[in-house]
Amino acid sequence: MTKTDQFNEFKEHSIAEFFKKNKQMLGFSGKVRSLTTIVHEYVTNSLDAAEEARILPDIQIELNEIDKQSGHYKVKAEDNGSGIPEKLIGKALGQMLAGTKFHRYVQQRGQQGIGAAGVTMYAQITTGKPTKVVSGYRGNIIEALVSIDFKTNKPKVDILSREKGDWHGLIIETEVKDVKYDKSSSGVYEYLKRTAIANPHAQITFIDPDGEVHIFPRSVEIIPPKPKPVKPHPLGLNTNDLLDFAHKDNNKTLNQFLSSTFSRVSANKVKELKELLPHINFKKPPRDLEWQEAEDIINAFKKIRWIAPSIEGIHPIGKEQIRTSMLNMLEPDFLAVVERKPKIYRGGVPFIIEVGLAYGGNSGRKTGGQVSSNIMRFGNRAPLLFDAGGGVIVESVKSIDWKRYDVRDFQNSPITILVNISSVHIPYTGAGKQAISSEPEIKEEIRNAIMEVARKLQIYINGVVKEKEKIHRKKAILRYVHQVASDLSYLSNIDAFEIENLLSKMIEEKYDTKKDEERLKNVISNRG
Amino acid sequence: MIGDCMENDVITKLNNLGKKMVEQIKMGESPHFTTILRSRGNTYYNEKEKVLELGDKTEKRTFANVAQARKFMQTLAIASKCKKFVRENLHTSIRGLYYQLKFSLGENLEENLFSEQSESNPLIEDLEVALNVKREDFNLNTDRKGFVAGRMIIEDSFGGEKTRIDCSKQGRSGWSIPSDVDNGMEILDLKADYVLVIEKDAMWQRLNEDKFWRKNNCIIITPKGQASRGTRRLLRKLADMGLPIYVFTDCDAWGWYIYWTIKTGSMNLAYLGKNIAVPEAKFVGVTMQDIKDFEFLSKLTIKTKDVDIKRAKEMLSYPWINQYKEWVNELKTVIRTKRKIEQDALQGQRLTFVGEYLSEKIKNKKFLP
Repeated sequence: MTKTDQFNEFKEHSIAEFFKKNKQMLGFSGKVRSLTTIVHEYVTNSLDAAEEARILPDIQIELNEIDKQSGHYKVKAEDNGSGIPEKLIGKALGQMLAGTKFHRYVQQRGQQGIGAAGVTMYAQITTGKPTKVVSGYRGNIIEALVSIDFKTNKPKVDILSREKGDWHGLIIETEVKDVKYDKSSSGVYEYLKRTAIANPHAQITFIDPDGEVHIFPRSVEIIPPKPKPVKPHPLGLNTNDLLDFAHKDNNKTLNQFLSSTFSRVSANKVKELKELLPHINFKKPPRDLEWQEAEDIINAFKKIRWIAPSIEGIHPIGKEQIRTSMLNMLEPDFLAVVERKPKIYRGGVPFIIEVGLAYGGNSGRKTGGQVSSNIMRFGNRAPLLFDAGGGVIVESVKSIDWKRYDVRDFQNSPITILVNISSVHIPYTGAGKQAISSEPEIKEEIRNAIMEVARKLQIYINGVVKEKEKIHRKKAILRYVHQVASDLSYLSNIDAFEIENLLSKMIEEKYDTKKDEERLKNVISNRG
Repeated sequence: MIGDCMENDVITKLNNLGKKMVEQIKMGESPHFTTILRSRGNTYYNEKEKVLELGDKTEKRTFANVAQARKFMQTLAIASKCKKFVRENLHTSIRGLYYQLKFSLGENLEENLFSEQSESNPLIEDLEVALNVKREDFNLNTDRKGFVAGRMIIEDSFGGEKTRIDCSKQGRSGWSIPSDVDNGMEILDLKADYVLVIEKDAMWQRLNEDKFWRKNNCIIITPKGQASRGTRRLLRKLADMGLPIYVFTDCDAWGWYIYWTIKTGSMNLAYLGKNIAVPEAKFVGVTMQDIKDFEFLSKLTIKTKDVDIKRAKEMLSYPWINQYKEWVNELKTVIRTKRKIEQDALQGQRLTFVGEYLSEKIKNKKFLP
């Protein structure tokens, strides 16, 4: 099926129908992954909402296994956000692609997936059950059941109760089938753990299907700054994005659409564009834009010199935040964090790379007594758990010659590397948005960041190893002091006790490790 | 060089070693001592003295070095134990010493002071070289090997008694050479024109039966193969008393090795240098020339083994051997003809022929240098 066909079909059927047929494109492929995607939708919604409302988020996820055979689970998500007003409940949870995403272009976690409404639909398809919502918004507590009319993509909301109360927040309860919980690296547990690392201002509680409660405590009391909406830059778009924007646009002409929707697109630039694309009618309504035309426009964008996009919309996790949460979560012996200056790729899309490297403690991944290194990938703070092999982050980490940094066996070292790419437009490789494409500038920047922390690790490893060896040598010699003193005493007729004291003192001084300890402390306190 | 050593000298040397090390510790230094490197690379032939000696490369043994700490401790334990032996005037073997020192370092330490005798042997040599003392001076005995017959009277002070030994009155077995011929042993009387060293015990018994030593006024000694330290020391003493030393061995690799060890010393004991070598020694036989001179011998030769040829070629490369054209000829003949001959072959015709052969050759001074 060509992309044009695909899109035509997209138009003919409702979005819900489309989703039903193509759920794997949206992260609902594989049982473990489907469950993680569901949790992801709720958690990112909660985080984004709390950020907007300037609240320190408290999020709780609870999973209940109803039937193992059919992969039937109940998922409950609760947050302390501002809740949703009654009239928006349907739109938020029962209408596909109705989120804020297409109205504002800010760096958001929710760039992946299809939002909470997607989960509502998934539940409906697999169990036939509506999703239950309790929303506490400005003194009104609403309880409702939400479902979707597949044909019209319209939400159906049954209000169960309306109460007055101070509680604010959102509780969503939904039942899904064909999913599976496990503790693998792509499962819910790992997802929440990593989310907590990238969002140290959030407190996340997870009750797993066995009833075990895992708490990822808040380690930073600072709410991240509110991302400022910025218009997308032409260089950050792909054909799909452009079509999406165009088909939802209400401008009369393509001309107007382009200059009002995207940043740095002046009348002059549109003129340049027209000259490059004489076959396109720029006066037609944007909703009539066809795939081929969109593709031509995207290609033409690349030939035009643009003013670089604003970096205002980018908000990295922050060096201190990464430091705090990695220390908190991994209790490492050594930690180094670096936040690089903004760089641009594809000639104009700004991005920021952050890298944290933890060594020792609970760093790395433990499987059956064996420790192996662990790479935690994040795109705009959202953990990327799937398609691990394919992305630029893993590629960059693997391209490092670790032996140069005295890491003899990187694969089997207690190392956790966190890499977060922040950008208003992250170049994901697929629709599932779990891997980032290998843009040369991004790869180079990740490598530079890793090498920066690796150099610090090298100093640490050398210090620790040398220190340990020195102590080991001292002990090996000290154990002989008594015997040597006694024989020297017999040979010299000098008191053995006196000789032993002198000899011990001499060895202690010669193998004095205090100086090294000082040096090591400096390295550790400079970490980060 | 290592010479005779009086008991008190040894104790003084050991005391000084200890005191010096305590001084070093007081100065904040690691206790240490210096010994001469005993390696092939530091062994050379002293052309003036005509013996194998150690060169001047030295090695420092120190305690505060993790690679050396254990050995250093062990060396001091040997030194202190030897001081005790000498003070108490008791002797033991190096194996006895090893057992004296094979104990745990402490209740909490799963480590013995020594766990194998091979650990202690080189350390004894370290001490010998460092203090310029022979192990015999530490009252450490080696296994006895070698027998003597002839007109030699010895006074042996041992176990608190003094015993007079007349080597002409030892019957068929002869006087057994002790490991230490320097301490508590004195040659009171010696009536002989030369010393004959006979490689094999059986041959020595043959000549003893014939009273070869009386008829030829000599001392006969068998080292029973390779000469022990005690035998070599005794030969050195006898040479010092003016007696020529003649050596009678097989004409093969092992026989030559025995001769050259007596003459120039060995690589292993190069640290004892001229105290254990007898450069004056001469080789009386058997030689390749004998095969020509005594026709019946030509039928009694044996085919050489690879080791004989290899050894002969090696010897040709040693400067202390290839300086003698007689030896070069001898060895080249062996390599060419691939034949060798045992000293026992001389009994092939008549049992008493050996004695005649030897007195004839010695009288006519038909020696290899």
